[in-house]
Amino acid sequence: MFFHIVLERNMQLHPRHFGRNLRENLVSKLVKDVEGTCSGRHGFVVAITGIENVGKGLIRDGTGFVTFPVKYQCVVFRPFKGEILEAAVTMVNKMGFFAETGPVQIFVSNHLIPDDMEFQSGDMPNYTTSDGSVKIQKDSEVRLKIIGTRVDATEIFCIGTIKDDFLGVINDPTTA
Amino acid sequence: MSEKGGRMFSLPTKTTPKSSLKSTAGKDDNSAKSKRGRKVQFGTEGSPDVNFSSPKSDGKFATPFGKGGKGEKAANGGKTHVAKESQSLELRVEQELPENVKCLMDCEAAGILEGIQDQMVILSSDPTIKLPESFGSGLQYAKTGSYYTNPQSVRKVLQSLTKYGVSNSEICVIANTCPETVDEVFALVRSLEAKRSKLTGPLKDVLEELAKLKTST
Repeated sequence: MFFHIVLERNMQLHPRHFGRNLRENLVSKLVKDVEGTCSGRHGFVVAITGIENVGKGLIRDGTGFVTFPVKYQCVVFRPFKGEILEAAVTMVNKMGFFAETGPVQIFVSNHLIPDDMEFQSGDMPNYTTSDGSVKIQKDSEVRLKIIGTRVDATEIFCIGTIKDDFLGVINDPTTA
Repeated sequence: MSEKGGRMFSLPTKTTPKSSLKSTAGKDDNSAKSKRGRKVQFGTEGSPDVNFSSPKSDGKFATPFGKGGKGEKAANGGKTHVAKESQSLELRVEQELPENVKCLMDCEAAGILEGIQDQMVILSSDPTIKLPESFGSGLQYAKTGSYYTNPQSVRKVLQSLTKYGVSNSEICVIANTCPETVDEVFALVRSLEAKRSKLTGPLKDVLEELAKLKTST
């Protein structure tokens, strides 16, 4: 889910950036440092939408660097347990399938795929129902529920399920 | 829930009843793997405030929403066992994030991100300014996930549900999933099940209004 949030960060600036364009330099450094990063609490910082406040700079002892506390608004994307998402399938194997929602990877284990769907190997591995009416393969769109998340330094990874009411394939690329 | 101070997210552990999920083997492997290294962990609760300020917000907001949720569950009487299990898979966005966070619907996020992308076209003469990869994938997801032509009208229609105790995050999930029936809403947003009797009527009206606002594809 996307969120609009105000975050705060202490930015260190080298004296060579001081002068008339101090604020612009500070903002561009903030954008370079923060956009595209990921944290456990807030998820992916997708884009900075504005600067709310730049505090007074404090000169650090021993170096010429100055630390500015900057409050900024940004759009973040963070998946939550219990959230319903639509994802595009990227890979299918006998353990389950991988899907992507924005910058987040989701894995759906075969234990969390309905029992009437079976893995079919081949050039285009897929999960298909016994009557062949529903198929999950690469590029299919599925609606799934997040049941767990993990965050490491650069990305968020989730576990999902489609073994629930109103979950499963939305769009089959072969019929589209 | 006891793990509020936990650092990482995790799947329900062995102590949590799992009958509704009907699968244990996959999860056992995951919890075994998690013991080997701290990086790879699946947890049931959100992380504490690590890098950012406002530590007070964790205590502040866990209580009112926690009380409300648990009060509702206790009123169901004999269903507490099932209620605990479904509660672990319910959205608890407001409890895990500070108050100043605004939940965005996919259509609203798409509008904001498209605006930023348009600005980047103007700024693109500066080679040092580049949009991160997550921006492109986030924008594409927001665009494909938004079914409505006018996010403001959608927000207005769904705001009427707030007086029945529907939280902002639940409203966003309803908008993003674009449900067709009231049953679908209650199946997808389990946390609303407790208020089913008073929400059914208003939800029907809201879904009719939303159907009119959908883009024709």
